[in-house]
Amino acid sequence: MIRIDQLRHVYPAGRKQPERTALFDLTLDVPEGQFTILSGPNGSGKSTLFRILCGLATPSRGTVTIGGFDLGLQGAEVRRIMGVVFQSPAVDKHLTVAENIRIHADLYGIGGPEFQARKDDALAWTDLKDRQADKVETLSGGLARQVELAKVMMTRPKVLLLDEPTTGLDPGSRRAFLDALHRLQKERGMTVLMTSHVFAEAENVDRVAIMREGRLLAYDSPAALRALIGTEMVVVRAKDPDYLGDELRAHLGLAIRRHGDELRLEETENGEGLPLLERILDRWRGDILSISIKQPDLEDVFVHVTGRAMPEQADHPGEPR
Amino acid sequence: MIRVAVSLAKREFTRFARQPQRVIGAIAQPLMFWAFLGAGMGTSFKPAGMEQMTYLEYFYPGVMVMMLLFASIFSCITIIEDRDAGFLQGVLVAPVSRLGIVLGKVMGSVLIALVQVLLFTIAAPFLGLSFSVGGFLLLLAGFVLTGTGFAALGFLIAWGMKSTSGFHAVMMVFLMPLWMLSGALFPVSGAAGWINVVMAINPVHHALNIIRAPFYGDAMSMLASPAYLLSLAVTVAWALICLVLSMKRVEKRENGA
Repeated sequence: MIRIDQLRHVYPAGRKQPERTALFDLTLDVPEGQFTILSGPNGSGKSTLFRILCGLATPSRGTVTIGGFDLGLQGAEVRRIMGVVFQSPAVDKHLTVAENIRIHADLYGIGGPEFQARKDDALAWTDLKDRQADKVETLSGGLARQVELAKVMMTRPKVLLLDEPTTGLDPGSRRAFLDALHRLQKERGMTVLMTSHVFAEAENVDRVAIMREGRLLAYDSPAALRALIGTEMVVVRAKDPDYLGDELRAHLGLAIRRHGDELRLEETENGEGLPLLERILDRWRGDILSISIKQPDLEDVFVHVTGRAMPEQADHPGEPR
Repeated sequence: MIRVAVSLAKREFTRFARQPQRVIGAIAQPLMFWAFLGAGMGTSFKPAGMEQMTYLEYFYPGVMVMMLLFASIFSCITIIEDRDAGFLQGVLVAPVSRLGIVLGKVMGSVLIALVQVLLFTIAAPFLGLSFSVGGFLLLLAGFVLTGTGFAALGFLIAWGMKSTSGFHAVMMVFLMPLWMLSGALFPVSGAAGWINVVMAINPVHHALNIIRAPFYGDAMSMLASPAYLLSLAVTVAWALICLVLSMKRVEKRENGA
């Protein structure tokens, strides 16, 4: 549904900074009806990719096809089937919920009896039914987000793009927003691409894409990504991580990753974690503050994938093209 | 396109009407300007050929132009935050014509300006000024054209701006001088030579001419006057050029190198 092919984006040189490449020939294919999370550290090119997908920026090279339409050549057709939820609110907070929805309908040419039906439909899942006459600025953060999603849902998009939509929400509102989003996505068979930093949000999606420095590092189902780093891992917190790290490396012959003050033995097969833990504890008990066996979650995958040294490539970031 | 523009213009007006301090500020400021300057200049204003005219009367159309200018500044300044982190983001990704986006803003701004300046027109009889029905229609056309010119110019400037403080700077060094050198504050006749040249090419000067004229002549003689028609043509051209440039500006996306 969303085909990104060899996408490259270079920010032109300004007065004070040299030109900067934000996306390096990125290729990504999001199949129809799937929920995909796009993740990556700050500066990974997520935001640039998002702006290009919305049609707000034109890439230097490469193509994006959404629903069979070329974004560069058939922008109007793409806009018609696409809904976008931005990180910063795209509603007018001085206007009421109903007024915001009305304007959005006007933008998409929805009127007459169709409007009422669509509006009811778009508000059905929300907690906004009694708040329609209230100004958006009087709503809580969670409800204001519901307005954003409701107005976008009214146009019945086939493709929905969301840019860190849960930023600034409390855990309860965040959960409620995501539950609603997942339900809508399933009911309507939408293709959803959502950028997010929060890995708890990624556990029950179809696919997770992880970017760093303008490149796609991993793109797979959450289960397949977790399998990248064994099925369980041993995590050690040491009094002197440098010393213990060297010790473990020298005596165990296993790959050890340093993550903050933690030492992680990630490539551990099922069932091997406990004997390994006991061996380490027997020998280095005095050097250890705590030791545990952990099922890897997506955050661990993210640390694993983005913490890895970049593979050697012909063009390095920062190098002129 | 019309529907989008009307919807966006309605939004502008609703916002304006919901902020009473903005309504009061927009009307009170030019009014004070007019009253204080008018009273202060009093009898010291005696340009050749206008001995009978008080400064209050001379300055009156100039304050109208000032109201139109301020209304457009207030409307356009919201573009800056709206575009990167607000309401306009949603409009830009919607399947709407780019001209609709510009016209929505401009129409909304003109509507707000009209309310203010028409309220101010009530003062005309107290200055001993009067106009015919035809004259009033021409005055109204003058308001709409001038308002459109300012709003489209403001749109053009605001669209490329990153901060509202930048817009304030442009307002002080560019928009206000356009108004000051329009003949709103002082007549062309007594001014230095170079100001004459600036006034002739300043579209705001021509806008002021078509707003001043209906108070001093009937519609037929105005439409027969080459000076009036020239000013009308310049004002129309100013509004159209700024509208087209604004549309081009919105169409332009940030391009990768």
